[in-house]
Amino acid sequence: MAAGRFSLKIVVAVAALVAGFAILFGVGLRGSMVYYLTVGEFLDREGREDLGENFRVNGNVVEGSIVRTPGRLGAVFLMTDGSRRLKVHFDKETPDTFVDGSEVVVEGAMHDDGMFAAHTLLAKCPSKYESSARGQETLRNAAEKGAPRDAAPAR
Amino acid sequence: MAEFGTLCLLLGLATAGWAVVASFNGWLDRSGALVLSGERAIYATWGLVALAIGCLEYLIFTDRFDIEYVASYSNRALPAMYKVSALWAGQAGSILFWLFVLCSYAAVVVAMNRRRNRPLMPVVVTTLSSIALFFLLLVNFMARPFVGLSQVPIDGLGMNPQLQNPFMAIHPPALYTGYVGLTIPFAFAIAALATGQLSDTWFRTTRRFTILSWFVLGTGILLGGWWAYVELGWGGYWAWDPVENASLIPWLTATAFLHSVMIEERKRMLRVWNMSLVIMTFLLSILGTFITRSGVISSVHSFTRSDIGPMFAGFLGVSVIVSVGLLIHRLPLLQSEHRLDSFVSRESSFLFNNLLLVGAAFAVLWGTIFPIISEAVRGVKITVGPPFFNEIMVPITFGLLTLSAICPMIAWRRATPHRLIDKVRIPLGTGILAAAVLFAAGMRDGYALVAFSLCAFVVATTVMEFFWGTRARMKATGEPALGALWSLVDRNKRRYGGFIVHVGVMLIIVGITGSSAFKQEATAVLARGESFGLGRFALRFEDIVSRDDPNQEFLGARLAVIEGGRQVGTLEPGQNFYKAGQDPSSEIAIRSTLREDLYLILSGFDPQAGKVTLKAYLNPLIAWIWIGGGVLILGSWFAMLPDLRDRRREAEARLSAAESYATS
Repeated sequence: MAAGRFSLKIVVAVAALVAGFAILFGVGLRGSMVYYLTVGEFLDREGREDLGENFRVNGNVVEGSIVRTPGRLGAVFLMTDGSRRLKVHFDKETPDTFVDGSEVVVEGAMHDDGMFAAHTLLAKCPSKYESSARGQETLRNAAEKGAPRDAAPAR
Repeated sequence: MAEFGTLCLLLGLATAGWAVVASFNGWLDRSGALVLSGERAIYATWGLVALAIGCLEYLIFTDRFDIEYVASYSNRALPAMYKVSALWAGQAGSILFWLFVLCSYAAVVVAMNRRRNRPLMPVVVTTLSSIALFFLLLVNFMARPFVGLSQVPIDGLGMNPQLQNPFMAIHPPALYTGYVGLTIPFAFAIAALATGQLSDTWFRTTRRFTILSWFVLGTGILLGGWWAYVELGWGGYWAWDPVENASLIPWLTATAFLHSVMIEERKRMLRVWNMSLVIMTFLLSILGTFITRSGVISSVHSFTRSDIGPMFAGFLGVSVIVSVGLLIHRLPLLQSEHRLDSFVSRESSFLFNNLLLVGAAFAVLWGTIFPIISEAVRGVKITVGPPFFNEIMVPITFGLLTLSAICPMIAWRRATPHRLIDKVRIPLGTGILAAAVLFAAGMRDGYALVAFSLCAFVVATTVMEFFWGTRARMKATGEPALGALWSLVDRNKRRYGGFIVHVGVMLIIVGITGSSAFKQEATAVLARGESFGLGRFALRFEDIVSRDDPNQEFLGARLAVIEGGRQVGTLEPGQNFYKAGQDPSSEIAIRSTLREDLYLILSGFDPQAGKVTLKAYLNPLIAWIWIGGGVLILGSWFAMLPDLRDRRREAEARLSAAESYATS
């Protein structure tokens, strides 16, 4: 769009709009950025205040670690990246796919009691949908790269 | 059968390749025979891909679990409807289906333009067949649907229970029909750029395809939201998930294009901008397909994930280079014929509408791909949460609402302020009145007040447009009111269809506002006979229910819905236990009225104590989102019907074509 084809008023209005966008963008982005880490990365970065308080952490549910209190929603469980473990507390209803061994992404903050208090939990079941060798391989890739498959959200 | 399918796809690769070569060379050499051969190759490719689809469906229906795809996404007990939709349950199948939709569009375009747009067609066919060729390469070498298994399982793994839902069965076809349809205006735009025939032909010819794809994509997005709402069980319908965003972004740019193309049509302005929008929309729809199918950004929807990433990146790169190169090459020919000279004019309000829509698209895109960018730049994945999207989208939506309320009343070229004020009085008054009434009724949520008031403003504008138009016609022709209204909309279906679409969008925004600003939720653990309250309602746990179906076993709780001391209904949330061995899935119970939805999830069951744990949501006005979707579809169909003007123009075109044929 060549200048001179538009009147000054319009150029000014467009500029104002774009500037408004930029401000909205910057403010919005700063307020909602969340680091997405593996369990190990999270434990290493803990205490670094420049990363903020809220984190998304990816790992697998340790077999047999899910503890539920009857009559209360949610669960306490351990999640692992294969070598290190993190104790997580989630107090909302868990998705159907949240079972032993499933890959989970939790979002929340470290609590004073040493547990990670999650306000969001995404889970992908240790899939029965992929059985072939190739399927297992993609599944392993998915686990390595830290992307949940078949995840169902719980909010 | 699988071998036959593989063969079809290989042959399809050859015919699509031939279509590219023949039509491109036919264009360069001005060889009519080559061009015709290229067009026939499009039909052949369509036929071969259709045969391959038929093969895959046949294999699914005959339970051929020696084929990996069939074994992975189907099983013996799967109902017929989901055996059909198993075709697009996995990656290979959905790419094949994408290809089929593209070839179908291409075949229709070729058939419709046998005698029209001849100078453009060779490049259109080259473009479409190049895209088809890329997807054929994917299904032949990367995501192969007919791969066999060395060990044949007794039964298939079955479809993910969450996908066994009528909405999920039709959501992907709707999305694909929308996404892929946007390649048609793109192909014509590329043809216009390549041939230098930059008159209005390219967008006039593809107008119906653009509207069709636009509203089908919109419908697909809404269906996806509906599916998430009734199936995923978190009480919401939109989570700013990458896959959802991927479909929203091209929809936003397509919306911008639908508006700004009217300026080009009338005023021959914003021409470079329109070309850029069409190219952008196409690239974003390919990016959307890629995000959906690759799970590259970890996402609720990533039911699949594979290594097709580099292929898509390469294809996107080539597309960007070719289309942007052509655009720059033709810049001198795309000069505007008019100056945008008034700040208060229809043209400038369309310009601002476009800036807002593209700004929204850019914001959603940025938020969506931010994890990839941050990982590439700083080595750590940073995600951007829903607050970012909400913060950006709320003010943009307010801006768009204001524009769509005022824009129809602003004159072309230059509006006189006092005339505008005269026209805007009644609609604006309606908007302010709506806010005052809601405030008096006790609504104190600022955002919701603004949103509802603006929606009332837009609807009032629309009603007044119909009213003024009808009155003017009655005066001019002396027709009775209803007759005048009909001939008014019949003469300009596009304008009035567009207004109906606006009303649909307003209803959707009312639904979104109501269900996000006034949502209530409660959790309760109940023994038999106990109840809990939510809003005006009380819910009493009556009994345990169980049902046995061939495919699954249902276990649920029956609750009485009590309003004002009177029972108004029962709800049965529960869990489905699948016999194919998948994990159980929650079955949500919803009591939907125009006023609000009561939404119940059974999240826990303690057989010893005989207690159930329930999660309940009260979502006000949510039904209006789906109703608005229906109105949007209606308006879009209406806008696509031929106008009197179109019919006359087409008749003239046919006549002049016949004359030139006769004289040559």
